[in-house]
Amino acid sequence: MNIEQIDVDALRRLMMDQPEPWTTRAIALAVSLAFLGAVLNLVRRGRLREEYTPIWTVVAVGIMTLSVWSAGLRVITRMVGAWAPSSTLFFFGELFLLILCLNYAVRLSSLTLHVKLLAQEIAILRAERDGRRDARA
Amino acid sequence: MSPAAPALAVIPALNEASRIGAVIDGVRRAAEPVDVLVVDDGSEDDTAAQARVHGALVISHPFNLGYGAALQTGYKHAARAGYTCLVQLDADGQHDPADVRRLLQPIQAGRAEVVIGSRFAEARGYHMGVARTIGRTFFQRVLVACGGPRIADPTSGFQALARDAFLLCCEDFYPSDFPDVDVLLLMHRRGLRIVEVPVTMAQSPPGRIAMHAGLRAVYYPYKMLLSTFRSALAPKETP
Repeated sequence: MNIEQIDVDALRRLMMDQPEPWTTRAIALAVSLAFLGAVLNLVRRGRLREEYTPIWTVVAVGIMTLSVWSAGLRVITRMVGAWAPSSTLFFFGELFLLILCLNYAVRLSSLTLHVKLLAQEIAILRAERDGRRDARA
Repeated sequence: MSPAAPALAVIPALNEASRIGAVIDGVRRAAEPVDVLVVDDGSEDDTAAQARVHGALVISHPFNLGYGAALQTGYKHAARAGYTCLVQLDADGQHDPADVRRLLQPIQAGRAEVVIGSRFAEARGYHMGVARTIGRTFFQRVLVACGGPRIADPTSGFQALARDAFLLCCEDFYPSDFPDVDVLLLMHRRGLRIVEVPVTMAQSPPGRIAMHAGLRAVYYPYKMLLSTFRSALAPKETP
């Protein structure tokens, strides 16, 4: 078949209309439930602070929603101009990870500064304390 | 602090137990009555103990924070203790304590807030490697291109600072690793007067790990360009 004979719009419609296999949806649902369970468990054990959980809860609920409501994913796919729902998922997944990494780098910068300030403060206070103790002796 | 000693010598030190004593003694001999502070930046040898034996006040970081952070700890101590000026020199003996007085003199005379001990203001036979010479020339030009002063030795760590200058360096912008051209540019933009004084500087002692060696030789120019760019955007104040 000549490549120029392919109707691109028809091909896109064909790809978009492919039904989502129930196994895919079941796996997505199971993974999102397990992920939400893991987040809650980490909070319960005190290894994840509550203020860091909203983003992960939103991710888990988002995957859960799209796994039971695949029409929603198709709507988003049409909106962004992608050809397949999986492409949309990968695109937003990568975008999310990129923003998350940048966010953590910002938090890390702030924590690094705080650690430095604390260490300097401890060192100066310790020297002042020793100086007072030597003066008394 | 000695009542007649308005100046503090800040010596950041990392694993310099074998050399720190000679540096402290040298400063005491050359510039009495300057107080001496050694900031031990998480040394694994007995640098702190040696410094105390030689009569210096010692502030020990609980762990290694970096050369810039060690200097900043010295500035913070100087700020709290009410010093009006300080001189900073390396603990490895590269900086000649005999120059301390000459470095402090322009500050005490009210002619400058920042004095740089320069290896190149006069020909004194200091030999810098090719890579470091290229780096120094490059950052010299970057400094001028960003509206900073023309400085023969912008990477010299042998400096004297007036109170206004070291108070500025107590702020959060001050780098933990390499305070160089970026800090000089910010000082200039904040209206601080910078002068150079020719000094004699020894070559780095053998066996010492260079601050800009290995991967840091790549990271240093990148980081310095970025922080110089940030300094260039700081609001300008007139002296």
